[in-house]
Amino acid sequence: MTTILSANKLNLSYGSKQILYDISLSFEEKSVTALIGPSGCGKSTLLRCLNRMNDLIPDCTMNGEILYRGEEIMKSDPVLLRRKIGMVFQRPNPFPKSIYDNIAYGPRAHGTKDKKILDEIVERSLKRAFLWDEVKDRLHESALGLSGGQQQRLCIARTLAVNPDVILMDEPCSALDPIATAKIENLIMDLKKDYTVIIVTHNMQQAARVSDITGFLYLGKLIEEGDTRMIFSSPKEELTERYITGRFG
Amino acid sequence: MNSISGWKETGIKSVWLITALISALSVVFILGYLIITSLPIFFETGIFGFLFNTDWNPTGSTPSYGIAALLVDTLLVTLGAMIFAVPLGLICAVFLAYLAPRKIRDMVKPAIELLAGIPSVVYGFFGMIVLCSLLQNVLDIPSGFSWLAASLLLGIMALPTIVSISEDALFAVPADYKEASLGLGATKWQTISRVLVPAAASGISAAVILGMGRAIGETMAVMMVAGNAAVIPSPLWDVLSPVRTLTATLGIELAEVASGTMHYYALFGVAAVLLAITLVINLISTRITSKIQSGRPIFSVPAPVKKILILSMVLLAAGVILYELGLIPLLIMTGVTAAFFLLKGKISHKTTEHAAFGIIYGGTALVIGILVIILGNIFINGVPAISWEFLTTAPRDLGREGGILPAIIGTLQLVGGAILLALPVGIGAAIYLREYSRDNPLTRLLRIGNDLLSGTPSIVFGVFGFAFLVIFLGWGVCLLAGMICLALMILPTIIKTTEEALKSVPNSLREASLGLGATKWQTIKNIVLPAAAPGILTGTILSIGRAAGETAPIMFTAVVFSKRFISMDLFEPVMSLPFHLYVLSTSVPDSETQQYGTAVVLICIVMAIYLVAIVIRKRFQRKLI
Repeated sequence: MTTILSANKLNLSYGSKQILYDISLSFEEKSVTALIGPSGCGKSTLLRCLNRMNDLIPDCTMNGEILYRGEEIMKSDPVLLRRKIGMVFQRPNPFPKSIYDNIAYGPRAHGTKDKKILDEIVERSLKRAFLWDEVKDRLHESALGLSGGQQQRLCIARTLAVNPDVILMDEPCSALDPIATAKIENLIMDLKKDYTVIIVTHNMQQAARVSDITGFLYLGKLIEEGDTRMIFSSPKEELTERYITGRFG
Repeated sequence: MNSISGWKETGIKSVWLITALISALSVVFILGYLIITSLPIFFETGIFGFLFNTDWNPTGSTPSYGIAALLVDTLLVTLGAMIFAVPLGLICAVFLAYLAPRKIRDMVKPAIELLAGIPSVVYGFFGMIVLCSLLQNVLDIPSGFSWLAASLLLGIMALPTIVSISEDALFAVPADYKEASLGLGATKWQTISRVLVPAAASGISAAVILGMGRAIGETMAVMMVAGNAAVIPSPLWDVLSPVRTLTATLGIELAEVASGTMHYYALFGVAAVLLAITLVINLISTRITSKIQSGRPIFSVPAPVKKILILSMVLLAAGVILYELGLIPLLIMTGVTAAFFLLKGKISHKTTEHAAFGIIYGGTALVIGILVIILGNIFINGVPAISWEFLTTAPRDLGREGGILPAIIGTLQLVGGAILLALPVGIGAAIYLREYSRDNPLTRLLRIGNDLLSGTPSIVFGVFGFAFLVIFLGWGVCLLAGMICLALMILPTIIKTTEEALKSVPNSLREASLGLGATKWQTIKNIVLPAAAPGILTGTILSIGRAAGETAPIMFTAVVFSKRFISMDLFEPVMSLPFHLYVLSTSVPDSETQQYGTAVVLICIVMAIYLVAIVIRKRFQRKLI
């Protein structure tokens, strides 16, 4: 296993309110890392640092370093970075376009015009997200007509179409029913063959089911990280134990 | 049950029902009167003869009543205005919604909205005195009064509407879309051009249609700069040809026509055609609104059709440029475009983005520049004209000397009367519509009629008032007739905004009050109306501003150019500021100082009214947060 992405002594504030304190954490290639913790602990904020989505928020200040394949991300072009580190959001957010155009959006934005190549990318991405069979006959209908779970898989397929290296997922199942959730979880476990996945979740069972490594955050600090089975069976910190056994949070 | 309170409730309900009936009746009456009066011309010429004959010569020895030229001119002027205003307006809206810092947006947006309130006669005045002479000198033509001048001016007038409503639509696009697109590694420009603008397409189309409605319905400004020759430009793209629109025809000819002649009926035919155009525009915008609600894209043009359309547009544009400017500019432009397309794949996204943002900043600067120039020109020339004497005396020597006091008072009288007439009826009708009735024939009639009338060109109300109040009832040109015309014009707006304000009061508040045992009227009086008051107030104030700046509905019904004494008699004519400015600038040579002075006073009055509305809205928004 090699480290693909790492944060080192990361501090972050919105205005005068500090959100993250001295976070140091590394992510392994082709594995699933789960970030867990109670609401407001900063796990989504941490995730959004990793592909610089926090750039969009005014008066957000950050120091510390984040290295992607050995390069400081704050020095790289955010647009190029986000092509390598894609993101799936909490609520499914397909564009009000057809299914096909949703998937082809990224490749087109990056300059692919050839219809054949686009067709191929669309098919491959949808198949990879286990959505192809459900939508192959209505690729040119609006993506807004899909169910919530299908929309979320579409968003994952849309991310895959850009051919990223790392996929960030911000509570991707929180707006979905249990069956749709199960499908997404299967997909996540399958994706780690080719991609590095980092997932934020408030659902501990989900973290236990899908992840190889788990990090526990509390009040903006990284309390503990390690092998998921270890974290869930014999955590080192008392705070972690109390959280995963449901005594607070 | 307490029967007394029961009687009271019923009584109150009937009051609102009566106001709703009055509104519905006036709607039906106006429409019916206009259409019935226009029938003789259709019997005379036939509908086809009226619409498709290009010869409009109602006063010739063998009179001819074909409005085809007027129709074509109206469409051309509107098209020209849109070609100018839509791209600029959209650019400016994108800047405000996505690129401008929050503080700048919060300052520029209300300023642009304020400009929507400048009376059209002021734009017309600016067009005559600055724009037309500029065109005349720059293009070296005998007269600047032309299609081009009218289109530019209407475009400028439509800009605030287009900017403001498109910006609302762009600003309302969910932040999710932006995040999703940026998260996929698209640049900011790609995100704006491929996701955000398409997602707001419905709202933007609504903005364009509203702007178009404003351009088609405009009378005064067009009349003052278009040259008013009832000819179809030849060749069709000769933008320097004078043109005459439908509304301008009414504005020019109605005062001179003898009632009961075929010419008179023909003018009503023109008004009926304007109503029909309004109806079509309304239908389109209703369709768009319903599509917005269903979340589907409004139009999907098949790719081949799109290609053909684009190709023919390019050819047409090339033809126009070739005709107007000659071969060399055309070649240069083709070269630049071709280079752009060739390089498109090769230049980096960064360069494209910089270029696009450059255009956006440039376009926004242009829009703001135009508006600053208009206001600057009027204020710099107008403020020195204002003196104590100017504000407090009556005009002498055809307005070249003396002041404008009777005009100020007359405007206030007209507006005050119109509000007194329209406000109780309008608010009552809205309360009935929203609180007391679900869906019945009366409400449906009222809503449809209301929508139609709120988009109707203001001169149509003038035509109605002239024919019915001034001539048929024999009141003559008088204050009361003007008040009624203005009241009818603002009634639909008052009903609509009041209804919207009532709609925005959450139902849970009503249920809470009713659940505590309050009666319906108690609930409305104590809970609903206070919560809706700011919205109602804003709507009312905007109507006052509009009424104060309008010329078309009163110029045949209530105003005279010169009057020495101020009277309160409802059956006497009055002076008014917009009409005074119109007459000074079109018929009184050597009165430039007075023209500018009148324009400044008029703008100040209207702006003050609008500012109050904006302050109220701001206050209310802050209270909500």
